[in-house]
Amino acid sequence: MADLGVMALLLGLALSAYSAVGSIIGEKRGMAELVVSARRALYMTTLAAAVASGALINAFVQNDFSIKYVADHSNTLMDRAFVWVAFYAGNEGSLLYILLTLSIITALSVWFAPKRLARSMPWTIAILAVIQLFYFGVLAFVASPFELLGTVPGDGRGINPLLTHPGMFSHPPLLMGGLIAITIPFAFVSGAMIAGNYGDDWIDVARVSAIISWGVLGTGMLLGAWWAYTILGWGGYWAWDPIENVALMPWLVMTAFIHSVMVQKRRGMFRMWNVALLNIAFVLAQLGMFINRGGPVVSVHSFAASTLGVIFLIFMLASLVFAFALFLWRMPEMKSDRAMESFISREASFLINNFLFLSVMAVTLWGVLFPLFSDLARDVSVSVSAPYFDRANGPVLLGIVIMMGIGPLLPWRKSSARSLKQWFMWPTLVGVLTIVVLVALGVQRPVAILAFGVVAFVATAISEEWWRGTAARHQAGDNWLLAWWRLVNGNRPRHGGYIVHISILMLGLGIIGTNFYQQRTDGALSLGESLVIDNYRIEYVGNGDESRRDRIAQWAEMSVYRIDTNDYSTEIAVARDEGLSGFTLENSEVRPNDELIAQIQPWHGFYPDFNMASVRSGIRSTIVEDLYVIPRDFLADGRISLAVSINPLAWWLWASGPFFILGTMVALWPQSSVERRSKHQKVPAAPDDNEGEL
Amino acid sequence: MPVVLGTLLALISVAVIAYPFFGSKRYRMVSERFITRELSRAERLRIYRKISDIDADFTSGDLTEADYQQQRDMLRVSAAEILRQESGASSSNSARDEELEKEISRLREQSAQPPEGGDPLR
Ligand code: HEM
Ligand code: HEM
Repeated sequence: MADLGVMALLLGLALSAYSAVGSIIGEKRGMAELVVSARRALYMTTLAAAVASGALINAFVQNDFSIKYVADHSNTLMDRAFVWVAFYAGNEGSLLYILLTLSIITALSVWFAPKRLARSMPWTIAILAVIQLFYFGVLAFVASPFELLGTVPGDGRGINPLLTHPGMFSHPPLLMGGLIAITIPFAFVSGAMIAGNYGDDWIDVARVSAIISWGVLGTGMLLGAWWAYTILGWGGYWAWDPIENVALMPWLVMTAFIHSVMVQKRRGMFRMWNVALLNIAFVLAQLGMFINRGGPVVSVHSFAASTLGVIFLIFMLASLVFAFALFLWRMPEMKSDRAMESFISREASFLINNFLFLSVMAVTLWGVLFPLFSDLARDVSVSVSAPYFDRANGPVLLGIVIMMGIGPLLPWRKSSARSLKQWFMWPTLVGVLTIVVLVALGVQRPVAILAFGVVAFVATAISEEWWRGTAARHQAGDNWLLAWWRLVNGNRPRHGGYIVHISILMLGLGIIGTNFYQQRTDGALSLGESLVIDNYRIEYVGNGDESRRDRIAQWAEMSVYRIDTNDYSTEIAVARDEGLSGFTLENSEVRPNDELIAQIQPWHGFYPDFNMASVRSGIRSTIVEDLYVIPRDFLADGRISLAVSINPLAWWLWASGPFFILGTMVALWPQSSVERRSKHQKVPAAPDDNEGEL
Repeated sequence: MPVVLGTLLALISVAVIAYPFFGSKRYRMVSERFITRELSRAERLRIYRKISDIDADFTSGDLTEADYQQQRDMLRVSAAEILRQESGASSSNSARDEELEKEISRLREQSAQPPEGGDPLR
């Protein structure tokens, strides 16, 4: 099977090289057959990538340990379902997965490309082919998943234990797929730029492909965060780890793009912005590839540094030079149709948006790159930690949320249209009221209170728009739900966007709650003892062993009680004096009034072959707060060492996911069938024009 | 066996990419005429969409009445112009106008906007 894989990779290499060269020469020399042939070659690369992937998967299924990659990432114990995960568990396989995804979406996007782009398609195809060529080349010559072992081992090393979870079926493919999919809008826009197609013809393709990759990337990040928090018991969900940052940065820039492109569509403005944003997003995606494929930044994800890092660095720099040379070359042509008329307008709010998103990106980029530069310059390792990102990005992110409330209320062009006072009155009132109520309730942390006010402001702005539109339709006779649905359906991009905005507000609630109001404590408990934090008491009631051939694993049974803090006032006072947020209790000290509210089973495992520990935290989650129990270790003396926290509003982080996906799908749902219908329209066509056109 | 499969794959690929040179179908580079037609069709669709967009904007109060009327008139004129070019001089003005209004109202129905236009809330 290794032979077949290698042959397929070499074939793909030849095909993509042919496609790139053929497309350009064919276009330049006017050789129609060559252009068609080059496009067909691009379709065939998909088959080549699929065959190579099939060969690797087959080798896993057959336990073919003569292949190094298979021996490194699986063994006979591995559940066959995890073959799919093992496929991309290492550098080589994940590159093959990325190539497979790229070649499939490339083929689809070229196949479905609108005819009016015919003139720029050869260029788009050439760009896509060059990018595939790069991956085929790397896989064939530098990081082959089909490398053979001299002596065939009896069994493989096994799959990384962190990956043996259903979450791993989706998180890595989504992130790698989302990052590589940014190639598509980039290739279409760059193709149009080269062909001198500066108009707005590429907008629809770019918008749809951009939103797809953006939605996939966003979903993948959320899943990664959810998984780190819920399953892996990391205690947090976002650590400003370089790998997280390199996924976040292109996502932010794409968010700016999908808003900014609306201005081009509606008002014929922001052309340069939009092209530049896509260029930046694409280069950032390449940065992500570089950092992840053996780049110099150490992270949970990154693979051991290798020559691969250098190759990806060069490719990233090449994309940077290409994108911006093209931009500078075509810049004079990308004029706006008109100038901004007022700063209180929808287009102005999108302009501010672009700056805000770019500034979060820039701060994050600096945090990723600074350690690299200082490493090179002074030979000391510096790491930039979470507080830097929080402090520098926090206020701008809040600004973005504020804009999310203001922007949609502003009309296009200038603000005379809507009575602004009328539209801003309710959101402002509710926002201010929220702040007042929170202050009156004695809630601490001014920044967080302000942020809650902002969330309320935006939520009211969206509700107001929905309320008015729904009420109008309700008056016309629809029931409320139908009326709302009709409203949404009537302008899906807009209302899909609002649903996404709501998901961002939910995410915001979770971020504010967990960042500003988290309480933590830790302690070690013997059987029968309890740990008290706030108004929870966690009692260690039992344990069990789940060791297997590949792991030493234990779980604890814990009962969670809600306590009346008055019952424990003396202990609480003592703990407070010592500056502790929790304390432990003997069984005999427990008060009888405590109410049992949950059972949790934190789990702790150690994998000697990988020298790796893995935990599953015990979580009791409500929409108000999570009680989060991490089993740090089962100690030799029979005690269990725990880290416990209360994470307010954490539930909202994960609840936002379905709304994010729903809103993205609503926004993407094909708007209408005008295009299709119009094909049947009787506009007389010259008969000789129908056949054989490219 | 794998080598046979790999060779087969290579042969198929060569056949697929060589076909345009030897097949019976003749290809030509994209002609001016074709592009002009595609572009004008696209432009016309874009104008329809813009009209339905500003209808929605006007309905939701994102555009003033004056702005709305002005933009709509301009868009209608451009759409009519394109239709005229597309159909040559063959159809009458009123037929084109009718065609135009039909497209627009179909779009509006799809958007399920209240038919009267204007902000129903004021
Ligand atoms: C906020 C949370 C997370 C973010 C933003 C994130 C980001 C990413 C990104 C960008 C990739 C694709 C990298 C590439 O190959 O180009 C990726 C892949 C992956 N992630 Fe995560 N991740 C997160 C959490 C986690 C966690 C908690 C784990 C578990 C240890 C994990 C395990 C993996 C694995 C195994 C891959 C595939 C590795 C590969 O082949 O590239 N991720 N993640
Ligand atoms: C992280 C933050 C944000 C996310 C994830 C987000 C997401 C989205 C998405 C997916 C759409 C639909 C786009 C389409 O269908 O083409 C949308 C629409 C929209 N967004 Fe955002 N957005 C964010 C922030 C903002 C901000 C800060 C503003 C303020 C200017 C804004 C204003 C709008 C408006 C006005 C629309 C609808 C435009 C229309 O069709 O009428 N968004 N948003």
